[in-house]
Amino acid sequence: MSILEILGGISLVIGSIFLFLGSLGIYRMPDVFNRLQAGTKASTLGAMATILGVGLLAPGWILKIIIIILFIGYSNPISSHALARAMHKRKAFMYFKGEEIDAYKEIEEKDNTEK
Amino acid sequence: MKKVIVLISLGILGFYLIDIFLGIGFGVPHFTNGVKDLYLSNSKDTLKVSNVVTAIVVNFRGFDTLGEVTVLFLASTALGGILYKKRHHVGERSVLFPASQVVMSGAKLLFPSIVLLGAYVFIHGHLSPGGGFQGGTIIATGFLLMLLTYRNYSVSHNRLVYFESLAGILFVSIGLVGYFSKGSFLENVLPVGNMNELFSGGVIGIIYIAVGFKVAAELTGIIYTVLHEKD
Repeated sequence: MSILEILGGISLVIGSIFLFLGSLGIYRMPDVFNRLQAGTKASTLGAMATILGVGLLAPGWILKIIIIILFIGYSNPISSHALARAMHKRKAFMYFKGEEIDAYKEIEEKDNTEK
Repeated sequence: MKKVIVLISLGILGFYLIDIFLGIGFGVPHFTNGVKDLYLSNSKDTLKVSNVVTAIVVNFRGFDTLGEVTVLFLASTALGGILYKKRHHVGERSVLFPASQVVMSGAKLLFPSIVLLGAYVFIHGHLSPGGGFQGGTIIATGFLLMLLTYRNYSVSHNRLVYFESLAGILFVSIGLVGYFSKGSFLENVLPVGNMNELFSGGVIGIIYIAVGFKVAAELTGIIYTVLHEKD
């Protein structure tokens, strides 16, 4: 067993743990924002680690793997940002209403007063 | 009265459909004439295409695909006709708020990669899963992203019609070339090459590129008609 195979196996296990935690978060979290956090952050890292593990196990594909990882790391945060922003604009249900720190709202209000 | 006429015509239709289906027989293998074996062996041996679905869709049953493309064209035209009439009442494009800076700068980089992926899918239609319809749809999603992100992004309708017509003419003229040189419509006229290479399968690659352009132009036209404000 070479060192690359061991590293690839470890990476696959880490990736699957994070993917599992992400799906568990989507199931268990109480509102849209918490679910988005679980379903995007954890699954981004999970997908990246899984694909990196595949790349370490099959070194011939490493260039494609790097491109896919860059693409996931680039596109996933943008889409989750767009989703979260749309939900915020639509004033989606918040479970911890009254306790939240809404930094985005503060920035928006500041922008509006400056205009 | 109307209902009675509908019921009677449905009854006549149903009678003939049941008549046809009773003739087939339940649980009997229908493909006794060996057409599936012919497809499987021909796509591997004479056409040298590894994706059998593509070989059937584009080569053996290419005329059906031409019909499907025509159906899509008619659907997009009809949708444009219906929505264009209503457009005058609706007015503004239904965007509640402009997209954020992150999405705007992200879409600029995502759009070319989506178009590249779509082009890859329809160019490699005879080697890997996918093909003209799927690749064209992927390209149309790229345009959807741009139209949702930038409020004043617009697609030239004339250019869409131009690409669509060019692709359709290419499809039909390949078919006619096959008809005049080999004797049947959409017959393969180009050398087939080796299996699992990009330049293999004869006319399949060219037809799928044409279909990809056509589907992309049609779906972009549909999305643009649905989203865009009156002009």
